[in-house]
Amino acid sequence: MLAARSISKSFSGVQALHNVSVAIGANEVVGLIGENGAGKSTLMRILSGTQAPDSGVLTLDGAPLRLRSARDAARHGVGMVFQEQSLLLNLSVAQNIYLGQEAEFTRLGVVNWRAMRKAALRQLGKIGVDIDVAARTADLTFAARQMVELAKALTLEDSTDRPLTILLDEPTSVLARADIDILFARVRSLKARASFVFVSHRLDEVLEVSDRVYVMKDGQVVGEYGAEKVTAPQLHQIMVGRGLHSGYYKEAQQASPRAPVLLQAKALGVSGAFRNVDLAIREGEVVGIAGVVGSGREELTRALGGFLPQTSGSLKINGDIVRLTSPEQAVKLGIGMVPRERRTEGLVMFLSIASNITLANLDAAMAHGMIDHRRERAIAEQWLARLRIKAPNVDVACRKLSGGNQQKVVLARWMTAGSRILILDHPTRGLDVGAKEEVYELVRELSAQGVAILLLSDTLEETIGLSHRVLAMRDGEITANFDAAAGQKPAQVDVLRAMV
Amino acid sequence: MNEVTALSQFRSWPEFSSGALRNLAPPALLVFLVGFIALFVPSFLSVQTLTMVLADTSVLFILATGETFVILLGGIDLSIQALASLASVIVAQLLPSLGLGAFPVAIVAGLLFGVVSGVVHVRLRVPSFVATLASGGVVAGLALLAAHGRAITIEEEGRAHVDWINASTFGLPNVIAIAVLVGLAGFFILRYTRFGRYTVAVGAGEPAALAAGVNVDRTKIIGFAISGTLAALAGIILAARLSSGSPSLANQLLLPAIAAVIVGGTAITGGLGSVGRTAIGALIISVVRIGMTFIGVNIFAENIVFGAMLIAAVAITIDRSKIAIIK
Repeated sequence: MLAARSISKSFSGVQALHNVSVAIGANEVVGLIGENGAGKSTLMRILSGTQAPDSGVLTLDGAPLRLRSARDAARHGVGMVFQEQSLLLNLSVAQNIYLGQEAEFTRLGVVNWRAMRKAALRQLGKIGVDIDVAARTADLTFAARQMVELAKALTLEDSTDRPLTILLDEPTSVLARADIDILFARVRSLKARASFVFVSHRLDEVLEVSDRVYVMKDGQVVGEYGAEKVTAPQLHQIMVGRGLHSGYYKEAQQASPRAPVLLQAKALGVSGAFRNVDLAIREGEVVGIAGVVGSGREELTRALGGFLPQTSGSLKINGDIVRLTSPEQAVKLGIGMVPRERRTEGLVMFLSIASNITLANLDAAMAHGMIDHRRERAIAEQWLARLRIKAPNVDVACRKLSGGNQQKVVLARWMTAGSRILILDHPTRGLDVGAKEEVYELVRELSAQGVAILLLSDTLEETIGLSHRVLAMRDGEITANFDAAAGQKPAQVDVLRAMV
Repeated sequence: MNEVTALSQFRSWPEFSSGALRNLAPPALLVFLVGFIALFVPSFLSVQTLTMVLADTSVLFILATGETFVILLGGIDLSIQALASLASVIVAQLLPSLGLGAFPVAIVAGLLFGVVSGVVHVRLRVPSFVATLASGGVVAGLALLAAHGRAITIEEEGRAHVDWINASTFGLPNVIAIAVLVGLAGFFILRYTRFGRYTVAVGAGEPAALAAGVNVDRTKIIGFAISGTLAALAGIILAARLSSGSPSLANQLLLPAIAAVIVGGTAITGGLGSVGRTAIGALIISVVRIGMTFIGVNIFAENIVFGAMLIAAVAITIDRSKIAIIK
C-alpha cells in the first residue's frame, strides 16, 4: 500500500499542499478530484518522485519511502501517465515504450530493435490494444498515444517485483467518450495486477471507474468517500465548497453590455482548426468560450490575436473589415492578448515592470521622439497604485512578482495601450484563490468601462460565472450559444453537453 | 503573507551577488589589469601610452558595438570580420577614382549585407549563426574576387583622403573621437529609442515581445543592419590605419569582438547588456593584448587567451535558470 502522510508543499510563498494524507490500497482504483489549482498535480508529482515534499512522508507498506526521482519511484513500482503526454513524437511506439530501458535490449553496445518491438507488442497485448509498434508516435491518434503511455507505465511490471501503482493524471481530458470507455475497461481489467490513482475534474467519470474518491480543495483533502456512497452533484458541492457562485464571480457587478459591436466574425475559419465561427462581442460584453482541447477555441483566440492567419470568412473590428496578419497589427487595432503562458508570452520576465507596462504603447512614455524614463516610471507607478500591484518599485524585473501581480501587469499594459478588445486566455491559471478574485474584479471593472472581452478559462464554472454569453465549441465549430445574464446563468451540464 | 515577507523575496542575496558580478567584475578586472601591467612597466600609465591603447581599441570597439546589438537581440553575427575586410578592399580600390565617395560606398555595402543577413535570419527562419556564417563566407569570397586575392596598398593620392582618420585634433587621435561618437550613439539608441527598447525586449523574451505587438522581425533586421554598418566603418578605419585594404585584413577580429561584448558583461543569451559594458570589454581585450607584448608573451598566443577569456566569461555569467538546454 502506497500512502502519503501529512504532505505539505509550497512554491514561492503559495501553499500548494497543506497537510495532505492519502492512501492507495492494493488492487484499488482511487479517484482524486478537485478544481484547477487544488493541488492534484502537485500531489501526483510528489507521489511519482519528481518533486520532494517540504514536510511529511511517503510510505510503502508502512515503511517510509524517499523518492529522489521518477526512476527511483519506478523501482518501487510507482509509474505515472502524464496529463501532457510525455511521449517523444519522433520516435517509434516501441522506442517510446522502452525509452530509458534500452540497456535490456543491448548486446555489445548494439540495440536489438527486433527484440524491443517484440517486447513492446507483448506490452500492448497486456492492455489489449492493437497498435503498430514500429509506427512513428506522431502518426497515432491522441487516444492511441494515451494507450501507449499506459503500456509504457506497465513496463514497470518487468523491472520490479512490487505491486504496481499507476498514477493517471487527467487521462480523459482529451479523449472522446468511446476512447474513455476503452481506457476504463483496461483499468478495470488491470486492477488484478495494479492499483491506480485516477485524477480528473470530471466527476461522473471518476465515480464510474473508482472504488474510493478523495476530494481536494485549496491544497487540502476535504473529503474521502466510497464511490457508491456519493453522487456527482454532492462531490461537486464539496469540491467547489461554496454554495453561491454569484458572489465569487462578482456577479452583482456584471454590467449590461452596450450596443456597439466591437468585434464581429462571420463564418471565420482557419483550415484544420475551426470553421464557420460567427461571433459578435459588444462593448462591455464578456463572451466565454467553452470547449475541450481540440475544439478549436485555442486556435480561435490565436487567430483573433493575429498569431494565426484566417483562411476563410471575415472579421470586423470596430466596424471595419480587417485581415489580421501579425500580433503587431492586432495590437494597433486595439486587441490585447492575455496569453495562457504568462511566463513566456505574457510578460518579458527579465524586464522591469515599467518596461512591460509601456511595451505595447511606447508612445505614452515618449517625448520629443525619445523615451522619457521619468514619464514611463510615472505611468507604471499609477498602475502599481491603481491595481494594488505588490512590488517595491517599478524597476523590479517582472519575474520576481507573484503570478497574480504579474497578471495585473499584463492587464495594466493593455489598459496603457488603450485596448478596447481583450482576449483572456486562461487568465487565472496558476493563481491562488485571492489573486483569482482580484482578476475577476478587474474583468468586471474593464467590462463596465466598455471593454469587449473574449474569455477562455480552466473551469466551466469560471467561464459561466464571468460571462454575459457562453459559446460552446466542439470539433472546430460553435455548437451552442447560452445567455448568461446575471442571475440567469446556464447550468454547467447543459454547456457540457454541447462541448462533448 | 504579510508585507515584510512579501517584499523580502526581492532582496535575496544570490540574486544581488550575480547582478553585482556582472556589473562590477569587468571594470574591476580592467583596473586590475592596468595596475598589473603598470607594476612591470611603469611607463604604461603615461598619457602617451594610454592614448595609444585607446586608439588601438577603437576599431575593436566599433566592431563590438555592432555585435552588441545583435547579441542583445539574442542572436550572433559571425560576418563582421568579412564585412570589415570587404569595406577595406572597397575603400582601397575606389579611393583613387571616387575620392571621399569611396567611404559611403563601403558603408552602404556593410549596411546591405547586414540587412541581407537579417532578412535571411527572420524570413527564412535560419538561425543567426548559420545565416551570418554563410553570408560572411559570401562576403569574404566577394572581397577576394574584388581584390584578386591580394592586399591593395592605398597609394599617395588616396592617402590624402584617409589622412584625416589618422590625424589628431588637440592631441587626441581622431579615431578615438570616432569611437566615442559611435559609443554615444549606441548608448542613446539603446536607452532612448523605440528600436533600442524593442531590442532588449526581444532578446529578453521574444514570444512576449511579439504578443505585446512588437515587430520582432523588423527589430532584428535593423540590429543586423547596424552590425553590418559598424563592421564596414571599422574596416574603413583599419584600412586607413594600415594604408591598405585586404580580403583578410580583419580576419583575426571576430573572436576578440565577441569576447569584448561578453567579457564586458552583456549576456550571450540576449536581453541584458549595454554599449558601456562593451567599451569596458573592448578595453580589457586591448589591455590584455598590449600587456602581452609588454610582458613579452608571444603575440601569436593572443587568440588562445581571448578564446579562454570568452569561455570563462560565458561560463561565469550565464544565467542557468533562464536556459534549460544548451545547444
